[in-house]
Amino acid sequence: MLELRELVKHFPAASGSPVRAVDGVSLSVAAGEFVALYGPSGSGKSTLLMLIAALLEPDAGSVLVDGREISALSDRDAANYRLHELGFVRQSLNLIPGASALDNAALKLLGADLGSREARRRIAPLLEHLGLADRMSHRAEQLSMGERQRVMIARALSTEPKLLLADEPTGSLDTERGAQVLSLLAETCRERKVTVVLVTHDQLAAAFADRVFSLRDGQLIDAEPDKGRAPVNAG
Amino acid sequence: MRLSSIARLYRVRIRARLTQELFAVLGIAIGVSLLFSSQVANTSLNGSVERLTNGIVGRMSLQLDARDSHGFEERLLEEVQRLPGVQAAVPVLEQDANVVGPKGQESVDLVGTDPRLARLGGGIARHVSEVGLGSRARVFTLPTEIAERIGATSIRSITIQLGSGSKHALLVPGLLGRGGASLGDSPIALAPLRAVQTLAGLQGRLTSIYLRAAPNRSSLVRAELERIAGDRLNVRPANFATTLFRRAAGPVDQSTSLFSALSALVGFLFAFNALLLTVPQRRSLIEDLHLDGYTRRMIVEVLLLDAFVLGVIASALGLALGELLSQVLFSSDPGYLSFAFPVGEQRIVTAWSVLVAVGGGMLAATVGVLAPLRAEIVERPSRWHARSSPVWRGRTPWMLAAALVCLLATTLILVLSPRSAIVGVLTLTLALLLCLPAAIELVVGASGRLHRLQAGAASYLALIELRSRANRSRSLAIAATGAIAVFGTVSIESARSNLQRGLDASAHGIDSGADVWATLAGKSNSFATSSFIDSSAEALRRVPGVRAVQLYRGSFLDWLDRRVWVLAPPRGAEHPVAASQIVSGNPLQAAARLRAGGWAVISKAIASERGLRIGDAFTLPSPRPTTLRVAALSTNLGWSPGAIVLNADDYARGWSSTDPSAYLIQLTPSASATVVSRRIRATLGPRTALQVETRGARERMHFAQAAQGLSRLTQIRSLVLIAAILAMAAAMGAMIWQRRARLADMKVDGFSRVVLWRALLWETAALLGVGCALGAVFGLYGQLLLGRALAVVNGFPVIEATPLPVALGSFALITAVAVAIVAVPGYLAARVRPSISFPE
Repeated sequence: MLELRELVKHFPAASGSPVRAVDGVSLSVAAGEFVALYGPSGSGKSTLLMLIAALLEPDAGSVLVDGREISALSDRDAANYRLHELGFVRQSLNLIPGASALDNAALKLLGADLGSREARRRIAPLLEHLGLADRMSHRAEQLSMGERQRVMIARALSTEPKLLLADEPTGSLDTERGAQVLSLLAETCRERKVTVVLVTHDQLAAAFADRVFSLRDGQLIDAEPDKGRAPVNAG
Repeated sequence: MRLSSIARLYRVRIRARLTQELFAVLGIAIGVSLLFSSQVANTSLNGSVERLTNGIVGRMSLQLDARDSHGFEERLLEEVQRLPGVQAAVPVLEQDANVVGPKGQESVDLVGTDPRLARLGGGIARHVSEVGLGSRARVFTLPTEIAERIGATSIRSITIQLGSGSKHALLVPGLLGRGGASLGDSPIALAPLRAVQTLAGLQGRLTSIYLRAAPNRSSLVRAELERIAGDRLNVRPANFATTLFRRAAGPVDQSTSLFSALSALVGFLFAFNALLLTVPQRRSLIEDLHLDGYTRRMIVEVLLLDAFVLGVIASALGLALGELLSQVLFSSDPGYLSFAFPVGEQRIVTAWSVLVAVGGGMLAATVGVLAPLRAEIVERPSRWHARSSPVWRGRTPWMLAAALVCLLATTLILVLSPRSAIVGVLTLTLALLLCLPAAIELVVGASGRLHRLQAGAASYLALIELRSRANRSRSLAIAATGAIAVFGTVSIESARSNLQRGLDASAHGIDSGADVWATLAGKSNSFATSSFIDSSAEALRRVPGVRAVQLYRGSFLDWLDRRVWVLAPPRGAEHPVAASQIVSGNPLQAAARLRAGGWAVISKAIASERGLRIGDAFTLPSPRPTTLRVAALSTNLGWSPGAIVLNADDYARGWSSTDPSAYLIQLTPSASATVVSRRIRATLGPRTALQVETRGARERMHFAQAAQGLSRLTQIRSLVLIAAILAMAAAMGAMIWQRRARLADMKVDGFSRVVLWRALLWETAALLGVGCALGAVFGLYGQLLLGRALAVVNGFPVIEATPLPVALGSFALITAVAVAIVAVPGYLAARVRPSISFPE
């Protein structure tokens, strides 16, 4: 479903030698698979996600989703890809203050050329599924951190994407709530056969992933041995 | 993206930034209101004369016009009517008059005509009954509002002062309806031709013939008219009064437009400050939308709806505020222009005024919303995070270079083309804004060095905030608001006070020509431009305390598109023209030449236009063209189209009339002006149309008129100051309020409330101080530019005084008041609970 081939992304640095944020990463992820990428800060996790989301162009290599080259998309096609084929869950819980959970979750659907009423109607079951049935009309600031993250997950899944990218989704949550959110995320995605690529530095995430990889200095260097398949090419 | 979806997105977000949006609405509304009210004031002045003229002349295309109020023989009417191509001709006798009712008196333009005007003229003329105009009775009609002002609301006999006498006539009110665009208070009276001829003692005379030429025969008719006119009469378009008025009102229009542009800029900065408060939210929204797959176009659509709603609400509020302002504050007082034109005080709101104001509001909203987010809109997302520093970061040298270019352009305008002063003010404003980032950097750098010498926690914290790149856009916008406000205030207030001093000096120079003045009554005769039949000079000479009575002559004369003020002091006048008003030539020699006769002092602007130099001969287009030589060049003596001074005998020759327009009465050394004035009034009798004023009273009247003429600038300046102070205080206060989380962190780190409060005040004072100080410095240059434009281009008398007090005063006032206001939210923010640092 997702294939990364010798992906490279370097950034210029003040010191002269470029920062090798992603350095020859190759990875193949099957449809419906849940993959976790570990790594410390600065290991290139977020850059890798941005490359998969077509928010950055790689210096070399390619990103293929269902066999289609993503890294060469035009701005418009890249936006269309993110809107319909991709969900993105961020660490920052940028809900619109003052707006309800329902409105916040329906935000992406509004962009998908759905009328606002239809968008709200369509997002409601997902919010119920994520345990927010009685919180839908609550304003963003009235929600707990865990609830806010569930709203973000609902927004990401609202357009029924094939691929979900999650960038430290539990970074703002305590361990217990983090586990709850990850569990819900994994369960929901499995039900919907959504492929998940999760980057995190939280060891707990491994419990929910089918495969786990380590990312260090821009390279995939290791895999959790007890998590099934090894990477196709780990660096 | 569907409009309903964009609207929904707008609705769900608005609650989170309602306060900031309201600030933005208020800011844009203030700009729109100032723009709208000043536009209305300008269009009201020009529109009043235009509508009145068109309302009378209608579809008549040409006029044959006398050069003075004595007119020409009525028999010319028949000759004109017989000309090939003339479809119709209407006779008119126009006189300045004073109507006196039970509640007061008003100056009016008394138009005598016959029923043909009611048939052929415009909307106003057709309002008058043909039967009425055809009568020989002494009846006349006035606009309702004028009639009400003098206490004559129904048909009644009232007094008309015309020439030196008073006569009774029957008033029929209701000529022009009431209010709005009906020209309800235009100072005009319509009467049968024969009645005006009788009242004015000008039987068989006309001052104008309006005529309609057959299609495609205008050139032929005009040529024939010019043959008839010779060098004694004028042939002009029927609505030529509007051209003359536009020329006269030009400086007023320009100054108001300039100030309203600066006002609009301050209003925009107010809005921009408020909109900057919403930038973090909008930026985060854009990033989220982008990650969710919104295209750039969809994001722009979302932002444009923000701008559209903001612009529409702010424009609507601005129009309402502007309407209020134009009614309460900027009443379109015609001031000195009413001395030579029948201009009313009605407000005329044109579609153009609304369009300009709303267009300005929508533009401000669009720029305010989009400009701070241009990187997010234009650049690829991969670059967003790389751009954490402001856009001018690293560009300071380029901005300084651009500022230098702007300053150079301003200097070139100052030296070579003061006519383009408005462009100069704009380039100066641009230079000011371009210099501001560097000035802030400079002050922050200097503060850092000073801080090493004198350390203190509060100033250190203030310095950190000032250095913070994250705050820089907002800091710059706040400083820019203060800078523009002080710049506008200093440049225009200094120019205004210099002009006021010049006008006062000019009035003093003229009024000091006599101890007591006797002129025809009426506001429109403030310049002593209406003549009367001399029947009292001998009697006045016998009044105890009177040493001498001299005859002063004067009037307005149309010279091409200028309605020029002609002053003709008596040949023996000690100072026929004040030395302070001579801008080129020797004042003593000029006075001697004037006394000798055959010479005239003319305004420099007229001389430049006609290519005249001192000593050159020219022909004055007086009723009887007179050749004079230029004795010296003067200011315009406070009358924007310009002035000409010659001696009273030359005037009598050129106008073929010995009628004076004032008695200049000199008193014996021991006589009291007040007492002698009383005796003079008694001598003139109760039925006289002359009013008697001491030199002091006349000067005070002229000073007040000059101040009134410039009052709109003072009013707008005050509003700009208030708007700027509010804008800066609101923006600064909001910025501080949004910083509470960081302040809470600092409290956790051990900083006390007092230290935090002081730090906030330091920061505010430094920021506003830089902006206002730079504004004051540029304001000094601005006043130089405007002063030169007033003096050189329009020839106004300008007496320059040091602008430093105005500059320092404006700087201190705006900075101090804004800091004082910010002290309150600063204090409240400093009281933030440290616990908010721990959200869960």
